[in-house]
Amino acid sequence: MTIHEVRPPRGAVRQPASAPVKARYRRRMRRADLLVVLSWVSVAIVVALFLAQSGTRGFASVTDAVTSVGVICGLVGTDLILLMMVLAARVPIIDGTFGHDKAMLVHRKLGKPAFYLLLAHGILLLIGYGMASGVNPVVEVGAMWATLPDMPLAFLALALLVVVIVSSFVAVRRRFPYEVWHAIHLLTYLAVLVAIPHQLSVGRLFVDGTLQRTYWLALYVVVAALLVIYRFLLPIVRSLRHSLTVRRVIRVADGVVSIELSGRHLRELNASGGQFLVWRFWTGKTWWHAHPLSLSAVPSDSSLRITVRALGAGSGALAYLPTGTKVSIEGPYGIFTQDARTLPHAVMVAAGIGVTPVRALIEQAELAPGEAVVIIRAASDQPPYLWQELRTLCASKGVVIFLVEGSRSRVLASWQSADAVERGYTLASYAPDIAKSDLYVCGPAHWTDLVIQDARAQGLRRGQIHVERFDW
Amino acid sequence: MRIRAVVGAVIASGAVILGGWEAGAQHSTTLTTQVATPGTGVTGSAAAPQTSSGSTASGTPTASAATAPGATDGTYKGSVVDTEYGTVQVSATISGGKISQVTALKLTDDGGRSVQISNRAAPILRSEVLKAQSANVDSVSGATYTTEGYLSSLQAALDSAHFG
Repeated sequence: MTIHEVRPPRGAVRQPASAPVKARYRRRMRRADLLVVLSWVSVAIVVALFLAQSGTRGFASVTDAVTSVGVICGLVGTDLILLMMVLAARVPIIDGTFGHDKAMLVHRKLGKPAFYLLLAHGILLLIGYGMASGVNPVVEVGAMWATLPDMPLAFLALALLVVVIVSSFVAVRRRFPYEVWHAIHLLTYLAVLVAIPHQLSVGRLFVDGTLQRTYWLALYVVVAALLVIYRFLLPIVRSLRHSLTVRRVIRVADGVVSIELSGRHLRELNASGGQFLVWRFWTGKTWWHAHPLSLSAVPSDSSLRITVRALGAGSGALAYLPTGTKVSIEGPYGIFTQDARTLPHAVMVAAGIGVTPVRALIEQAELAPGEAVVIIRAASDQPPYLWQELRTLCASKGVVIFLVEGSRSRVLASWQSADAVERGYTLASYAPDIAKSDLYVCGPAHWTDLVIQDARAQGLRRGQIHVERFDW
Repeated sequence: MRIRAVVGAVIASGAVILGGWEAGAQHSTTLTTQVATPGTGVTGSAAAPQTSSGSTASGTPTASAATAPGATDGTYKGSVVDTEYGTVQVSATISGGKISQVTALKLTDDGGRSVQISNRAAPILRSEVLKAQSANVDSVSGATYTTEGYLSSLQAALDSAHFG
């Protein structure tokens, strides 16, 4: 047998599509739509503010049109960068509506368009200004530098953005440790900051007292406030308030440890099973590395638990954390939780260390017997991490759990074992109600993609599929 | 749900941009009329001669066609002309029935770009005016607003000097 099933006794009345799930989902989608509309409108507003000022005259001649389009590129590009900053600011309403990983996905997607717009801004204005004074764009660089206010800073901003974007190209990014890449990434803040003076002083759009100037300054202030509050102040306040320390480190399997932490007033964190926090362990060897790790159990008021595969350069040392090590946190983040539910049933598929959020999620979730199915994928040589806990938990909650073990197929890429593939199993074989289910997937990136592929083949919509990815 | 977001975003954004465009178009028409009637619709028109170097019609008008024997020597301030990029005012010095000097008292200065443009245009306009001995000179390309303001203000100054 390669597939074990633990089926709970039937008998309890199966609850139909729970009304709170639907209502919660509708509310979340309304919020999501509203935020999407707001983001688009923020772009429209900056264009409208420009048009209101320039009028048709901004497009009266080719020179004017080139210049105007150049200015619009700059305004929209800057607005997108501010949007990206908000997306990365861990604002609770964004995190709770889209989830941290989706917000970061959009953040990444906006990066290149924003950069190209700002590049176009520079180039078009060199051409436009050059045409106006009858010189070529290259000569205009010198003229701009010398005769326009704050231009050296603006050129610096563009140069910084080039560095940031190049460092984010996949090929380049892989060469650096996360910390180095992240430090380079923070230059974006500097780039935006040093670009502000030229925005206010060069254009006529932002002379004192205009609506445009007021709007943009307010925009900068709001974005800065969100960043300061949610990225810096809140984590510091929470870390101090809850004063987490390592209580003990328990070996779970080879290279895998559970870390139990003690703290105060942990209920106030409002952490749900399935969420993750960014952890920093304050020992000499580990303080510089922040670890995004899921809770592997629902927190109590005085303790938390995470389960870590302590293998990487940064996480290897976590297996030897001394008791009493101080821990600071950012979070909790993510909506790999029951709040993401949209449908009457739930299916959770996990592999490797991906079982940890699933374990906590099941513990937290209000589930009627038979409402949920858990599928755990593991190699045959060792049981999945936290397996005993998972079985006990599923049995008590009336959750069907499958263990799909065995080596993977050499011929066909599948999330299942070779055996299961041969028998023609799909997600629907384990969870007949898959079409009416929310699917939660957590595991290695490639494996996760294969699960999603199977799910899509079963006709699941994207909105039904909830994934926890730990890439940033 | 996604469709609702997209439709909402498109409609809302479209409305906002259209509103901006409308506001801009109106703004442009009012400006056009204002600039189209230089001198008249403009406030603070021509001051009296500041320094009267000779109150009687000073002699020696040269035989050039551009000279205006009726003009009194002195420096005349032009009107303050509103342009989209700030106000413009120049003064003209008449001596010996000729425009001997044009000084920019105030040039377009809404933003560094306007300053850059007007700084480039002013010397060109000045030398063109001195050469032509009138406010009838070609617009400096890329500096339309500065040119319009400059020449309107200059014309007002010349009018008050009864030049030409």
